[in-house]
Amino acid sequence: MLDRLTLARRIDEGTASQQLKRLGASACEPAWIGLWATGLGLPHGSPGAWLLCAQNMQRALLMVGAELPPLVEKPDAGIKLDSGLPPTSEALNRLWLWERMATPRHWRMQVLSTPPKPFWLPCWLGYIRGRQQRLIIISGLSGEPLPMLKPIVLEGLQQAHQKEQNAALSEQRRNSL
Amino acid sequence: MEGFTLFDTIVLIGYICLIAWIGSRFGKDQQNPEDYFLGGRKIPGWAIGLSVMATQASAITFIGAPGWGFEGGLERLVTFINVPLAMIVLILVLVPIFHRAGIYSIYELLERRFGPATRTLSALLFLVARGLATGVVLYAPALVLAVVTGWSVNLTIIIMAVLAISYTVMGGISAVIWTDVVQMFVLWFGALFSIFFLVTSLPGGWSDVMDFGATTGMFNAIDLSFDPSVTYSLWAGLLGGFFLHVAYFGTDQSQIQRVLSSPSVMDAQRSLLIGGYLLIPQMLLFLFIGVILATYYQQHGLTPPEDLNELLPRYVVSAFPSGMAGLVIAGVFAAAMSSLDSALNSLSAVTVRDFYSRYIKPNASDAHYLKASRMATIFWGLYATLFAFFAGNLGPVIEAVNQIGSWFYGALLGTFLLAIFSHRSNGRGAIAGLIAGMLAVWAVSALLDVSWLYNNTVGVAVSVSVGYLVSLSAPAPSHAQLSDVMMAEAAPDMQAVLAARADNAHIIGKEARVTRRRCIGLFAWFCLMLAMLALLQGWANA
Repeated sequence: MLDRLTLARRIDEGTASQQLKRLGASACEPAWIGLWATGLGLPHGSPGAWLLCAQNMQRALLMVGAELPPLVEKPDAGIKLDSGLPPTSEALNRLWLWERMATPRHWRMQVLSTPPKPFWLPCWLGYIRGRQQRLIIISGLSGEPLPMLKPIVLEGLQQAHQKEQNAALSEQRRNSL
Repeated sequence: MEGFTLFDTIVLIGYICLIAWIGSRFGKDQQNPEDYFLGGRKIPGWAIGLSVMATQASAITFIGAPGWGFEGGLERLVTFINVPLAMIVLILVLVPIFHRAGIYSIYELLERRFGPATRTLSALLFLVARGLATGVVLYAPALVLAVVTGWSVNLTIIIMAVLAISYTVMGGISAVIWTDVVQMFVLWFGALFSIFFLVTSLPGGWSDVMDFGATTGMFNAIDLSFDPSVTYSLWAGLLGGFFLHVAYFGTDQSQIQRVLSSPSVMDAQRSLLIGGYLLIPQMLLFLFIGVILATYYQQHGLTPPEDLNELLPRYVVSAFPSGMAGLVIAGVFAAAMSSLDSALNSLSAVTVRDFYSRYIKPNASDAHYLKASRMATIFWGLYATLFAFFAGNLGPVIEAVNQIGSWFYGALLGTFLLAIFSHRSNGRGAIAGLIAGMLAVWAVSALLDVSWLYNNTVGVAVSVSVGYLVSLSAPAPSHAQLSDVMMAEAAPDMQAVLAARADNAHIIGKEARVTRRRCIGLFAWFCLMLAMLALLQGWANA
């Protein structure tokens, strides 16, 4: 079982609130999303960037940097949402092939042969109240909106909600007994 | 009248070599892999936006728009007056959906929504249309080369085709954003210098231009005629041109490619905003040069060249000081190369992703796909070259490019709109709509005397209505098929989850949304431009 690395949150609550407000959110909370990171670099070289992905993501995120920035102190509060198993190496290679086709400048960079590392990506969730409730996810590293993570986050929130309801139900049952 | 001197030739070759060196130095040879990825990320948004503009149409604009203005004055500006409105639709509707869907080619969205047949047909339409338009893009620098050297255009087309194809196959340099930005400024300065030299060569200077423009009706940009056969009426520009540009910027892979590769939706919006604000003033600048050239030709009793695309390059070569002409012509070349590289890349990417890797070799190696993409580049380069031989007969290149798009993109846009807005439509309807939309455009162009600007409107209207009606004859799409175009959080149980979480989350208050502010800004810009044209026209007719 691999240890899951927690990345340092670089966007504090004030900055995240500001950014989410600009995007129309009226409430926010911190979250951690469990993803898989694979190094990208020249063949037999060290990584220069990381492909951040999960099995059911259509397109991966690209994080530039030689190392994943680890969190030194204890992780702060926030719901943890896991994305499940890592993508297979074939799927990763194919994912990166299409990324390179779309950005030919990256053609020489390859997926390094190390296995994907699990990690917690810090994020901020923003809630927009309108005719319908809407969700915005921004990165806790850069503040960029991450719409492609929405299916993972929604599924995670639904599971967490289900768990809370089940726990409340069993508590109620225990009390009634 | 110095002509294209040896010094100009040295500047031209030096400029091209410098751009190629910068491209190979900064685009390919970074030793540190981190620098490699950071390449485009430390560059400000405005530079990225300008680079997108440079790739889109700079050389075509430089060559085609003055001829357009020479022929018809500012009336043709209505073709572009709608661009801010088109950008609003892209920013609000298409870009968020494309970005969220995580797709490489936009035609993938149609497969998920309607099935593989719709994807294949729409990608095929794109390849045919963009391949033809690339022929016009290839013709533009070939014409400049012919003007400079005095060689036949057919020969210069072949030379430019060999250069463009080999350069794209070798990797291209369009990835270097700063070189695109430099090219953009070189062309703008070239335009401004042309105005300066032209106006100072007229005895009455500006007053001659204004008098000529006013008496010949060249400042009449707004024609309120409801007659659909009037090509450049305001209504044709607003209704027809609007769909033309939504379709061009939203459903053409070569245009939307950079948007799909942007790190975030906000970045993608930013690059569209630059086009939304700058395309009208840029077009106004070049059309105005056409008006000044018309004044110049009239005052000097000159006969214009048969091909009006030659007007500005000829003037630059004959009137600019030695060296400066070389620089501007080099800027045109480099910008055309950047456009060609981008177009050929997107054609080969769609060929490999939407056809080759799906139907011919689904599980080949990276090296195999790279080779296939190079072969595809050569194929599309040859296809474009064949068409480039006919491009000289199509009139101003800027109109030719837009006309070609108008034959194909309306039906394509209709299919995307059907996918997004009609949750009842399905694959059968989409295919029927796409084919009917195309046929309707061809029928209207061939049988009716209607402005070509309406082609896209006809394509959209027919493909949406036929698509919807035919969809009713087959079952509604499944929930999974609608997942890309529906708000994922719209399901009632999800709404309850989000409401519960929002109640317990930290309240941050509300602020005007940045997207809304951006769209209001674009709309205000559109109104301002329209008002300015109306004022100019009012003054000219007073």
